[in-house]
This record gives sequence, C-alpha cells and structure tokens, in this order.
Amino acid sequence: MEIISLNLFISALRLATPIALVALGETYSERAGVINVGVEGMALAGALSCAIVAYFSGSPVLALIAAVAVGAALGALHAIWSVYLRADHVVSGAAINLLVMGFALFLTRVIWGWRGTSPSAPTMNAWILVGVGLFLIALSQIYIFRTPWGLRLRVVGEHPRAADTAGINVYRTRLIYTVLNGALCGLAGAFLFNNLGRFTDGMVGGRGFIGIAAMVVGNYRPLPALLAAYLFGFVDALQMRLQEYIPSQVSLMLPYILTVIVLAGFLGRAQVPKALGKPYVKEQG
Amino acid sequence: MKWLKDMGPVVGAILLALAVGAIVTVATGYSVAAVFRELVRGAFGGTYQFAQTLTQATPILFTSLSFLIAFRCGLFNIGAEGQLYLGAFAAAWAGFTFRLPPVLHTVVCLLFGAVFGGIWGLIPGWLRAKRGANEFVTTMMLSYVAIYLTSWLVAPGGPYHGTQWANQTVRIATSAQFPRLMHGAQLSWGIVVGVLIAFIVWYLLFRTPRGYELRAVGQNPLAAEYGGINVARNMILALTLAGALAGLGGAAEILGTHRRFIENFSPGYGWDGIAGGLIARAHPIAAIFAAVLMGALRAGGMAIDRAGVAPADLAAVIQGLVIFFVVAPELIKYFRRLVSRRAKLGDN
Amino acid sequence: MPAEAVRMEGIVKTFPGVLANAGVDFSLSWGEVHGLLGENGAGKTVLMSILYGLYQPDSGRIFVRGKETRIKSPHVAIELGIGMVHQHFMLVPRLTVAENIAVGWEPTRGPLFDRRAMVKKIKALVDQYGLAVDPTARVEELSVGEQQRVEILKALYRGAEVLILDEPTAVLAEQEVEALFDTIRTLKEQGKAVVFITHKLHEALEICDRITVLRKGKNVGTLPASEATEEQLAELMVGREVVFTIHPEPVESEGRVLLQVESLSAQDDRGVLAVREVSLEVHDHEILGIAGVQGNGQKELVEVICGLRRPTGGRVLVGDAEVTGQSPRRLGARGLVHIPEDRHLRGLILTFSVEENSILGMHRDSPFAVGPWIQSKRAISIHARKLVEQFSVSVPTLSAPARTLSGGNQQRLILARELTRGPQAVVAMQPTRGLDVGGMEFVWEQFLKMRKEGVGILLVSMDLDEVMMLSDRIAVMYQGKIVGVFQRGEAEKRKLGLLMLGGQGEVA
Repeated sequence: MEIISLNLFISALRLATPIALVALGETYSERAGVINVGVEGMALAGALSCAIVAYFSGSPVLALIAAVAVGAALGALHAIWSVYLRADHVVSGAAINLLVMGFALFLTRVIWGWRGTSPSAPTMNAWILVGVGLFLIALSQIYIFRTPWGLRLRVVGEHPRAADTAGINVYRTRLIYTVLNGALCGLAGAFLFNNLGRFTDGMVGGRGFIGIAAMVVGNYRPLPALLAAYLFGFVDALQMRLQEYIPSQVSLMLPYILTVIVLAGFLGRAQVPKALGKPYVKEQG
Repeated sequence: MKWLKDMGPVVGAILLALAVGAIVTVATGYSVAAVFRELVRGAFGGTYQFAQTLTQATPILFTSLSFLIAFRCGLFNIGAEGQLYLGAFAAAWAGFTFRLPPVLHTVVCLLFGAVFGGIWGLIPGWLRAKRGANEFVTTMMLSYVAIYLTSWLVAPGGPYHGTQWANQTVRIATSAQFPRLMHGAQLSWGIVVGVLIAFIVWYLLFRTPRGYELRAVGQNPLAAEYGGINVARNMILALTLAGALAGLGGAAEILGTHRRFIENFSPGYGWDGIAGGLIARAHPIAAIFAAVLMGALRAGGMAIDRAGVAPADLAAVIQGLVIFFVVAPELIKYFRRLVSRRAKLGDN
Repeated sequence: MPAEAVRMEGIVKTFPGVLANAGVDFSLSWGEVHGLLGENGAGKTVLMSILYGLYQPDSGRIFVRGKETRIKSPHVAIELGIGMVHQHFMLVPRLTVAENIAVGWEPTRGPLFDRRAMVKKIKALVDQYGLAVDPTARVEELSVGEQQRVEILKALYRGAEVLILDEPTAVLAEQEVEALFDTIRTLKEQGKAVVFITHKLHEALEICDRITVLRKGKNVGTLPASEATEEQLAELMVGREVVFTIHPEPVESEGRVLLQVESLSAQDDRGVLAVREVSLEVHDHEILGIAGVQGNGQKELVEVICGLRRPTGGRVLVGDAEVTGQSPRRLGARGLVHIPEDRHLRGLILTFSVEENSILGMHRDSPFAVGPWIQSKRAISIHARKLVEQFSVSVPTLSAPARTLSGGNQQRLILARELTRGPQAVVAMQPTRGLDVGGMEFVWEQFLKMRKEGVGILLVSMDLDEVMMLSDRIAVMYQGKIVGVFQRGEAEKRKLGLLMLGGQGEVA
C-alpha cells in the first residue's frame, strides 16, 4: 500500500510541529497557572502577521520575527486580562480568539481586497522551523525540571502563595510565561504560513485546541507532549493520503475524532497544576 | 432588578469598544462618520432594516442561550456552530421527508433540530462528566466533525445533494416553514420562538429545582455534592440542553430563512453566540438584547459593505472588542479608581 | 546590636468591612519567645503577616534591629532575617523536601539546580537543630508533624533570625507539641527571637517568656509569662469572664443505636487505604468524639458516612436502615445530617443568596418544590427567615449572597439549616474551626441541646480539648483504625495523645 511510506512519517513530523509548539507554549503558561485557550487566535495572528510582513518586506526572517512578536503581544494581553484584571481565563482566551478572527477577515480585505485570504508571499523552508521547534522542546524539558527557574515556575502553578512567601513575584511569573506561550503560538502560525505559502483564515483549523489536548495527554511535560503531537500529526498526514479513497470531508474529520477519543480515554488523570485557572490575589483578608 | 445595575459595566464596555473601533477605522483609512452612520442606519434605520437586524439576531439568540446554559453549570460549550449545523440539517431532512399538517410539521422539524443538536451536546457532556475530558476542546472538535459531516451530506456525490447549482438539499415542504412576519423581508416566526425559549430558559434556571441544581453545580460542585446533587448528571444535562438550543437555532434558520439546508449557511452564528452569552453575562433575558446587538452589528456591517464605506468585517472587529472589554470585571473597577483618584487630586 | 529585634508601632490594617489591627504596638527581643495570644479573628495572624511583608499596613512603623524599615514583600522580610511558619503550610505536596526548601535560593551548578548540594545543606541544618526529615522525600508522603519541620527548616535555611510560628500546635498531638517546644528552646538558646501565635492559654504559659494579648485588633496587654495566670489571660482575650470549659450534664441514654458503622473501609483520593475496618456506634443522648491527628482517615470516614465517598467494604446504618453508599439527600431524609469541615468549600454556595443556601440539600422536597420543575419561592423565603431568627444569624438581607456573612454567621446558618431538619444523628467535622469564642460557645450549646433532646452526635475534631470537653465517649483514630474507645474521664490527655501518635493501646 503506497499510503504507508517513509514519506508519511516525515510528513507527520512536519504536521505535528504547530501542534507541538502550541502544546509547549501552553505547558509553560498552565504550569504557571494560566489557562490560555486563545492559542488558536494567537497562532492565526502569527500566521497573518507573517503573511503581511513577508508580502510587504519580502523578508521571511522579518516576517518570522513579526509573527513571534504579535503572538507575544497577544499573550501579554491575555496575561493582563486574566492575571491583573482577573477575568476568567477561559473567557479571556475565547474573547481573544473572536477578536483575532474578526481582525483577520477585516485586515485581509483591507490590505488585499480578498476576504480571509492573502496572495502568496515569500517564505522560508518550513523545515527550519521544525528544527527550531524540536530544539525548543528539548531545551524546555531540561529547563522545567532541572533548573531553578523551572522549579520556581512549577511552584507558582502549584501553590502561588508558597511562591509568594518565597519571594517570587507570582504576577510577573504568570505574565512572562503567558507571553512566552503567545510567542510560541506565533511561531506555530509562522510555521503554518511558511508551510502553505499564503494566509487563509481557516489555516489553523483547530490545531491550537489539538495542541492543548496534546499537552494534557503529555501530562504537562514537553517531550511526552511532542509524542502526542506526533500522533496527531500522523493522523493528519494519513488523512491527506486517504482523500484519494474516501470523501475528503470524512477524511478531514479524522484528526478531530481522534482528539476526542484520546481525551476520552485519558480518564483525566493528568497531574494538573493545582492553582491552574485560579486568579491569585495577593492581599487576602 | 439587580441585573440592571450589572448592565452598567456592559454599557461601558460597549462604549469603550466603539471608541477603539473608531481608532481602527481611522487607522485603516476609513471614515469614522460614514462607518457609524451606515452602521446605525443599516441596523435600525427603518422597518426593513430593523427586520434584518432581528433576522440576524434570531439564530444568535439560540446560540447565546446555548452558551449560557452550559456556562451556568460551569461548562464551556464552544461547539454551538457544529450543533447548529446538525440541528439545521436534521430539521431540513424532517422538512422534506415527512408529509404532515402545517403547524405540526414545523414542531416536528424543530424537535428534530433539538434532538440532534442535543445529541451533539450529550457526547461531550458525558465525556466530561464520566471521563474528565475537557469540554472546551471536545465541543470544538465535534463542531468541526459536524460541519464536515453535513458538508459531505450535501456535496456532489453526497446522499442529499439536492440541486445541481449549489451544495444544498431540496426545499422543505411549505407545511414545515415558519411564516414570514413581514412582506419583503426574511424575518420569520423564528424570532418569536426564540424569545419564548429565552423566557423558558430563564424560568428553568431560576424558578425550578432543576435549575437550582444546575447553577449550584456551576458555582460550587463540592457543595452541590454535599447537598445531594448529582454533579455528573447535571453536567450532562447542561451540555445536552446547550446542544439542543443550538440545534433549535439551526432549525429555526432553515425553517424561517433558507427553507433548505445550504452548505456553510452560517456566517459564524455559533461564535456570535459565545459573544452574546458573555455580553449577556449568562442571563437569559439579557441574551435577547445581546443577540439584538450582535444582529445589529451584522446587519449594520452588511450595510457598511453595500454602501462601499468599509468591509463588513469591521463590525466583526467591533464585536470582538466589545466582548474583550466586557469580560474584564476589574477593568471597570480600575477606571472607577482612576476617576476617583483624579477627583481627589482635583480637590486639592 | 540592640536587644530589641523587632518593634512595631501603631499598626493599623483594615480589610473591606473589618478593622483587623487597630493601632497595635508590639516588641520582640533577641533570645525571647514572645506569645501572641487572642481568639480567632483578633488580628494576630494579620499583624505577623504585616511583619512578614504579606500585607502592607495602612499606617504605623516597623523597626527591625533598631532601624525603621518598610517590609514590602516576603522577599524583603526574608532578607531582614524574618521567617514565618504559617498555619496552612506553604508547601507543594508534589515536590520534594529539598525542592520546597530551596525554591528562591537554589544552589546551582552552572544553569542547573544542584540537588546534591541542597541535600547536604539540609542535612547540616537537620543536625544543628534536631529537626529530623528526609530531604529527598516528597512532601505529600510526610506526616503533618514532619511537614511542619520542613517549614521551620525552610525559614532557617533562608537565614531567619526572627521566627514567627502561627498556631503551630493546631495540627500536632501532645508528644509532637513537646518536640516542637524542645526545638523552640534550642532556637532561643541560639539567640533567635520567636513569636508564638496561639489561642491556647496553657501553651502560651508553658513556652513563652512574654505574652501579648490581642482582642478585636487591639493590644490589650503585654505581660511576662511568669506573672500571668490563665484566668487573667482569658479575661484579657475575651473581655469578660470566659466559659472556656463546658461541663455537660450527664444524660441518660435509652441504649438505642442511632448511627452505626460496621467494618468500614475506604480509600483516599490517591487510592491509598485510609479507613481500615472501622466499627463505631453512636447512641441516643450521646456525643461520640473522634480524636486524632489530621490525616489519619477522619475525613474519609466522615465522607463515607455522609454519602460523599464510596466505601470499599463495610456498612453504614442509620437507625435500623442500611444506608451504605446512599446520597446525602437520602441520608437527610433518613435523619442523618452533616456539618461539613469547610463551610466555604462544602457547606455553602457563597454566591447563592442566604435564602437559596437555606434549602441546600432539601431543595427538591416539599414544601420547597413539587417535582423537579416547580419551586415555591414563598416557602423558601419563610424557611430562610425562620432559620435566621431561630439561630440569630446576622444577615444584611435574605437575598444577600452568603459570602457577605462573617465566618461565625455562616456557621450559624449551616447549623440552623441542618439542625432544624429534626435529625436523629448529626455528623460534625471541625465545627468550630476559625470561630471566635462566642461562635464556639454557640456551636457547643447547640450540640448539647440536641444531645439533651436525644440526638446522637458524631463529633470529629483535631482540637483534643474540644473533644474531651464535649464527648460522652471518645474514640481515637490512628492510621485509619480505631485504636481506643474511652468513657468520659477514663483517659487523660497524655494517654490519648500517645494513642493518636500510634503509641501503646488496644485496638478496639
């Protein structure tokens, strides 16, 4: 059967990359105690920024920087909303998704006159970004579990008051890691752009949420999350090849169904950081 | 009524969003005056325009109720878009498959919409209650599945591909359709049904023991358990109802506006529902007004586009801004403190 | 170096609706153990939290080693050599002892955390102060007493010369208290200054050199411990003659068994067996107290009895009826009610109104409801008003959210709700936790009243004094087993304390 080939496994790695990047970013912010469901919008914003800057400057590298910067900025916005203004984390993230969706449709229309898509623009080899992603994941595995800053990160997410009494600034920690989350999502968006060569408003296609699922399955650890992301990438690569044999819509459903099955089978036994999603109030009566 | 006071921050958020929207308008080279003029005119400028607003508001009302009933139980139903599609298809199918007397046919179609939407809420509900599967992700995933599924059903080669010139089903029987309320506009009885359902949801949540239990689970599952409430069952109920409401919304759209199932008929009503639910602060009656607001933005957006003043999606941007400002409770407090500090300095 | 380690002058601190510290003066000398005495809510923890930089005072001055300073955060406090051991431990259960102690001051080798160096440092401290603990163990595996030692080590590791201990004995058994006192004496000998926050008079008199009493946010007196008496201190604490001990009148039991547990076993949240074949009986006109150190299965036992946890074996009976595994609503119908340990977590829905909370657990029953779809607002209102009046619950309005009530009033509301259901048996866990003396007395009175009327009460409390004072019979629980059952007056505190720590005793 020509479907199963080395090519399939290589494709899987490529398709897994955006998912793995989101999973890594979300691991950081959730370990600090911040839920970010705005990953979908942040990746989309990253992809759009990449397209715009690549189109106008002709430089894929500049575009990459823009994508990461925009993602980081949105991460900061989410952090301000959820950490400092104490909005519900999930609601703030959902609001960001809606905001980005609206902006994406609007800006593509304003800049190019097409609703939701861009013309093609200069890209870099997407495999570079795959390499960057793998490097960051490996680095993170060490960072989180073997360095002092990783230890502080973990304490903030498990017991923010303990971190506070140890002199760690809980708000700032949460801000930093949420910004990092946004930056990684922006990077994921940059990957999607460079992989496709243009921007379309459906290009993230739920991969942000699948990234969250991968993180849960990976139990908040970068390397296992990568494996989970690879599984999803594999199914994604597989369904593309299956489209010759079964209706495309049915094939496209597969990654999503897989995600549901995986989450169902996982029994929710993940070691969720204890303080996840709970706003930290410094002075409590 | 306490909730009138709670509306204060919402109004503030809307104004703030309009202000930022104005900045965006100017920054992208459009005329703020023209945009706002066409926006308001397109939404409220005349009977026909207002009917358009209400037409757009109808499915949004259902999806807002969908989001908020789950929210009241502490759950996030993000899959309203998919539930809407499933309900719409089911209603359309019942509409062109059965031969029934007029009102009965409509009711049966609505039921089909509710049931199939409900199933699509039951699945993630059960997964969350019994398996701890994050419902935000599962409802989102199932939404994609539903959209692809219905897309396949009406695609060329699909079993319900009804006409050659578009991916849609055949027309539903006249006996199933919602009568139009106004000559020359698409506004139908769907809006009446929607408002009715909003009141029913309110009654359910605040005047029945079932609603008490649902809200208790949303506020404090441990205390609810202590009070003898079955947390799992309520979670499943909440998401099933949420799915049913979104499915009803899809059904209403088919029965009232399109009279057949069309691929991609929804310009994002599911997402608008999330916005509507948030803006209404999860209150069913406020959802009516929130839906009208969303509908006004959509209708106004289309008017802006038609008049060539700016792209319709500017309205979507404003909508995103409104939600964004509504969800930050401390933002208002922060502004109040800012104002009072200035006042104190002013006194000196 | 001046003899005065710390001086606080005129400290004022308010929280919304509460004046926690109303101009408090406090001073601490080197080589001194200074007791900070007061009932719950008097402002002791707040005052010390200000010293530790967790809160900022509204006004007042703080002097450390004679120099005026502003302590803006715990980090600053730690740099000044101030350490605090909190009532609720600031430990991450999932991490090891070494990681918990190190965080913020980690020894490093290059960019990596130097685990081995950390373990060595801890071992050195362990030897110096005699606080035995395994640095590589995960905190969740340690006993409560051991966890407290980790907290003290943490403060010492960070260079504390001034050590604040907030209610350290609340979670300890008698013998562990003695070990703690030895540690405190060692610290004193080494010239450190210790603040000992407590509401227990006899402890303050035993270990402290000086005692400052706070009442309603004010410093009402500082005296040398050698000159103070319990009565004097008690009066300062409460401002009136205190009924700190209640002597329940003897009441005849008719010998009926109202609540019974047979060979009950259950697991905790981690799947570890927490209750091991426990058998107990509560009779009419009786208070059966369960004494034990926190974490020996009491929580799980209560949860099983009250329908919140499935047992792995055994039976629960109310009267003659077996109720094992039934829901709390069914149990309520059968006459078993539960006063939960944590009123915020379990007992009330803080965002619901007083009215809505007044029917929690009865919301499906008549007269409040007819089936699942009809609710009588009027009946609920009447019921809520009745509860509030009967139990003197102070509420702004009946529709105010429960979180606007004070802790004492919240507990009154819960008691009102549960005790007016006409139960046969009451299971109460830590019912007076966090309440001031007035609140505690109210709770005790209610229990004694129910007991006189024939109700059987199962009282679980970590406060051994409370258990000994109220119970007709006391059962001691250790590691999930009942290790002794005694009639009132049969066993004294030492013996009970020994059993609570797994010392000698017969298994019941």
